[in-house]
Amino acid sequence: MNNFLDFITRDIASKKTMITSMPSKTKTNKKKINTTIEEIEEKYKVYKDNVKNYLIVKSHSFEIKEDNKEYEKVKKEVISLEQLRFLLNPSNTYIEKLGFDELLYQINNFSKFNFHSLNDIINAFLDKFEIIGLNLKSEDFRITSYVNEYMSAFLDVRYKIDKKYDKVSEIFERIYWLNPDLINHLALNFKILIRKNAKLFDDNILKLQKKTMKEYNIKDYEECLEKLKNKYSELEKLEEETIGKIISLALEGSLDINHYFEDNKVRINAFSSIIPDDIDTEDEKEMDKIRDVLAKLKYNVEEYQNYIKFIPLFTLFKNDYKNLINDKNTKSKDMLNEIVKKEKELDKCNKVIFHESSKLFDTLFKNKVEKTKILANHYVNELMELYNKYDDEVNKDRIRKMVSVDTTVEDVLHLYYSFDYLKKSDIQKSYETNDYDEIIDISNDFDLYSMNPNNLIVKGIKIFDDYNLSSIIANKYKLNNLKIEESDISEENIISLYNKIKLILRAGIIDKSSSSVEKIWFMVQTKKILDSEQVENADTEEE
Amino acid sequence: MRKVKEEKVDFDLSNLELRELIQVYENISEFLNFLDENKIEIEEKEKEDE
Repeated sequence: MNNFLDFITRDIASKKTMITSMPSKTKTNKKKINTTIEEIEEKYKVYKDNVKNYLIVKSHSFEIKEDNKEYEKVKKEVISLEQLRFLLNPSNTYIEKLGFDELLYQINNFSKFNFHSLNDIINAFLDKFEIIGLNLKSEDFRITSYVNEYMSAFLDVRYKIDKKYDKVSEIFERIYWLNPDLINHLALNFKILIRKNAKLFDDNILKLQKKTMKEYNIKDYEECLEKLKNKYSELEKLEEETIGKIISLALEGSLDINHYFEDNKVRINAFSSIIPDDIDTEDEKEMDKIRDVLAKLKYNVEEYQNYIKFIPLFTLFKNDYKNLINDKNTKSKDMLNEIVKKEKELDKCNKVIFHESSKLFDTLFKNKVEKTKILANHYVNELMELYNKYDDEVNKDRIRKMVSVDTTVEDVLHLYYSFDYLKKSDIQKSYETNDYDEIIDISNDFDLYSMNPNNLIVKGIKIFDDYNLSSIIANKYKLNNLKIEESDISEENIISLYNKIKLILRAGIIDKSSSSVEKIWFMVQTKKILDSEQVENADTEEE
Repeated sequence: MRKVKEEKVDFDLSNLELRELIQVYENISEFLNFLDENKIEIEEKEKEDE
C-alpha cells in the first residue's frame, strides 16, 4: 500500500500534467479548466488542513515543559543577598550606599548627557534626605540667590498634590541666562548638604545594617559573601542549558537545529576541531568526561570574554594609578579644612544677602548686599574648584588604600563596584564616550561581571603584570587533551570557539533527553509553517 | 469497459516519518499555488466557442 506521501507525489504530478495539457483556446475550454482546478483545489485544501492539524498535534507532543520555580526562587535570594552585600560593603560610605554618588554623577554631567528631566534628579536627592527625616527647606538652598529662587519654587510645587513644574521651568529659563552655572551651583549645594549631614546618614546606615542583618540572620559581611558565593553556584547550576531551553532557542531562531544533525558540516567541524582524534564519540563514558572538561572551558571562556570587554578600563587603571603605589601622601584632610573654612565665609555672606530687614530700603545696605553677592559668587566658584579637587583626592585615597604591586584584577573589580562615580568617570575616559546610555550599559555589564564571586581567572591576575591569558587558558585545556590552541582563544576567534563548545554540549543534552534533533527540527518546521500562514492571512485581510 | 484499478492509499499520517510529514505539507502547498496560478481569467466580452 502506498503511503500518503507517495500518493500525493504521484497525484500531483499526474494532475499537473493533465491541467497543462488541457485545451485553453475557447471560452468553454477555459471554463472547463477553471472548474477542474476548483474541484482539485477543494480536495487539496482539505488535505492541507488535515495535514496541518496533524503537524500541530505531533509538534505539541514533542514539547517538554520545565519548571522555572526553583530558578526564580534562587534568583530572588541572590538579589536579596546582593542588596545586603551592597549595604554591608566595608569599602564605601553612606554616599555610595544611599545612591548619592549615582545622582551626583547625573547632575554633574547634565550638560554632557542631555537629560530630559532635571526635576527627577532633584526629587531623587530630596527623597533621600527625607528617608532620614530631613525635609529640606528653601533656607537649605542658599549657596546663591539664584539657586535659592529656583529651589524655593521647586519645593513649593513638590509638596503640592498636583505637581505642575511649568512655573519652575519658566524660572529656570530666566535664571539660566543670568547664571549659566545654575546646575553646577545646585549640585554643589547638594554636595554641601550631603557632607554636613554625614553623621545623620551614617547613623541611619548603621541602623539599617543591624536591622537587615537580623532579618537575614547574617552576622557580618564575610558571612554574607560566603552565602552569596553558594547561592551563585546554585544559580549557575540552574542556569545550565536543559533540553527545554534548547528547544526554546531553536523555536525562537537563536540556534540553527540543522547544525545538530550528525552529518552536518558545522557539527562535524565542531567535534573534530576540539575533541581529540582518539576519542570514540559514540562512547558515552568518554564523551561524558570530555563534556565535563568542556563545561569548565566554557565557563573560563565566558569569564575571559567579559575580561576582554573591560580591557580599556583596566588599561586606564594601570596607566593612571600605578604612581599611587608609592604616593601615599594624601592632601584630602587639608582640602577638607579649606572647604569648611570657605563654607563658613560663604555662610557669613549669606547672612547678609538673605537678611530680612527694614534696612532693605537703605541705599547703603543695598550696596552692601550687592557687594556681598559678588564676594559670595567668588566663594561659590572657589568652592566648586575645591570640591572638584577634593573629590579627585578622595578617589585617589580610595585607590591608595588598595593599590600595590600585588593588586589583582579582582581587587580592581571590587573598587569600581564599590564606587559608582569613579567607575562611570573612568568608563567615560577609557571608552572615550559621552553617550550616557552607553556609559550606563557598560557600567551595568561591569557590575554583573564584578559581582560574580565565582570568577576564577581574575583572582590570580595582577593588574600591573602582563599576562598572555589566551595561552594560559589554552595550555590548561591541552593538559586535558583538548585540541585547543592559543589562537582559538584570541579576541578574533573566541566567539567561534565558544559556539563550538556550546554546540557539542547541547548535542550531548539532546542525545540524553527524550527528544532528538529530528523532533526539534520538526517542531521548528511546524512553527515556520504556522508563522508564514499567519503572515499570509494577515496580507489577505489587508487586501 | 476496462475497469481502472483503484489505487489503495493509506491516509494514515502516523505511518510517515517526520521529514515526510513536512514534505507532504510542502508539496500540497506548492501544488495549491500552482493551481491558483493556472486559473484562467475569462473576460465577459469573450464570445462563446470561436
